[in-house]
Amino acid sequence: MTKKLERGAPLAEQIIAGHLAGGEGPVTPGRLVTVRPDRVYVQDGNAPTIARLYEQHGFTTVFDPERVSFVFDHSVLVADVDMADRMKDADRFAARLGVDVRARGQGISHVLAAEVGWFSPGALVLGSDSHTCVGGAFGALGLGMGASDIVAAMVTGTTWLRVPDTVEVRFTGTPARATRPRDVLLSLLRDKGQEPFLYRSVEFTGAWARSLSDDASASLASLGVELGAKCVFVPDEQGAVPTGTAPGLPRVDFDIGGLQPTVALPHLPARTVPLDEAAGTPISYVFLGSCTNSRLEDIAEAAAVVRGRRVGPGIQFVVTPGSNAVYREAMRAGYIDTLLTAGAVVTPAGCGTCVGTQGPLPARGENVLSTMNRNFRGRMGNPEANIYLSSPVVAAATALSGAIPRVEDLP
Amino acid sequence: MTHTSTYRVRRVTGTVSTDDIIPARYKHMHTDPKLLAPHLFEAYLPGFVDTVEPGDAIVSDSVFGIGSSREQAVSTLLANGIGLVIAPRFGRILFRNCWNLALPAIETDTDRLTEGMTISLDLGRGEIRCEGTVLATFPEPPPFLLEMISHGGLLPRVKTRVTGA
Repeated sequence: MTKKLERGAPLAEQIIAGHLAGGEGPVTPGRLVTVRPDRVYVQDGNAPTIARLYEQHGFTTVFDPERVSFVFDHSVLVADVDMADRMKDADRFAARLGVDVRARGQGISHVLAAEVGWFSPGALVLGSDSHTCVGGAFGALGLGMGASDIVAAMVTGTTWLRVPDTVEVRFTGTPARATRPRDVLLSLLRDKGQEPFLYRSVEFTGAWARSLSDDASASLASLGVELGAKCVFVPDEQGAVPTGTAPGLPRVDFDIGGLQPTVALPHLPARTVPLDEAAGTPISYVFLGSCTNSRLEDIAEAAAVVRGRRVGPGIQFVVTPGSNAVYREAMRAGYIDTLLTAGAVVTPAGCGTCVGTQGPLPARGENVLSTMNRNFRGRMGNPEANIYLSSPVVAAATALSGAIPRVEDLP
Repeated sequence: MTHTSTYRVRRVTGTVSTDDIIPARYKHMHTDPKLLAPHLFEAYLPGFVDTVEPGDAIVSDSVFGIGSSREQAVSTLLANGIGLVIAPRFGRILFRNCWNLALPAIETDTDRLTEGMTISLDLGRGEIRCEGTVLATFPEPPPFLLEMISHGGLLPRVKTRVTGA
């Protein structure tokens, strides 16, 4: 079903055209069409609700057990009896369906999706989690959906889509040394708002986007949903995702020349400011993880910052690798040893504390710095905590000093 | 198709995330929307849930429902008797989830809809009225979305197609 992507028609339209369930056409923005996804994956936060909907409507099968996966990532270390019961429900449900199961500790669905090849150029993938847009880092149309949509796709092997409008975001210039993809994307969100991107397919272009590693591309793509986009695509040097876009598309130019690292203030990702404006804010809990920044490159950067130094007194530095494979690779490379020696807590792979469905929860009034996608109030399980967002480099530096650093303090 | 009903306006202000509508930890604890219902807007609008009555319409002044894929945001609104959501803009996934659960989500200018006002929705004509005056208009939703409302949601429609029942 996957098809090589070419320069020409917008990428979302190319992929949708390659997955039409019937002879519907043409694939033009605004049309409602029915498509056949290559893969449907479910995370454990929604699996129990999906099981309940199956029961409620009398469904018992999936369209293809080979192409439906359950990933247990949100509640890996369950510390609540009700949640533990729900995880058992989800386990039993997956076993009854006979589908592919990725057990707790194997990793975050979107990280695994890239590792095991569900995200491939031209693929159409549905996930029961909003950050399925990570697929665009690998040329896949990754769409996050709710439980009913996922149930319908699991049963019928099809889903309905509105063909999105496409907008190009062209980056020009080179950002400052310690600036990372998340800083770029959250600066774009702050400066342009969601309006130009809502419901749209966003194709990033420009030399900077093309130069990003897979890990960095995934970080950028993961934040597509925060931009309000339906999906995003990051070009690459290898040509799996073509560079440049179809002529005549609306374009947003964004000059990132010299752009400084950033921090998002509580409680919205759009409240992003240059790092120096937040510098000095006391932080006592740092979380490095989530589908935005939990990959090998992220862990390597954090390890480089803390090597030979110690996490500050009274500071909790929690590191959650994005997948079991990332964890083992980080061990082989010595990053985990460096982090542990510095005083970090390293947890099993998964979503970690990002949604507050497992510990450690932040305390009331505590200032948290996290590398995750979003800092909505109550995220991480405590509405009385204040969550700031940053890259792993800034997070690791913060864990050492107990305060948000200045740009000049970064290595 | 004409689909007309009456609702009481309940205003919410600012960009509302799905975490604001229902915090993640509750959706991981419960699958029954009745158990989620008391936690609607728990941190965002403390006490609001106690003032909700069946037939209320949530009317937002900004982007409503950005963030998570959690359909529980919509089932929690429904479990409280909310019958309509109106906003200038919606988060994409929440918009789908609303229609999938047969909760009309109407994208239009909400400036003239004030707290406590009784409004009527005419889906077929694309109008929101108060005492006969048209306060907001919107394009008629595509037949596919209207069909979901008449079936009571996406899954009852899928069931009809799969089983022929």
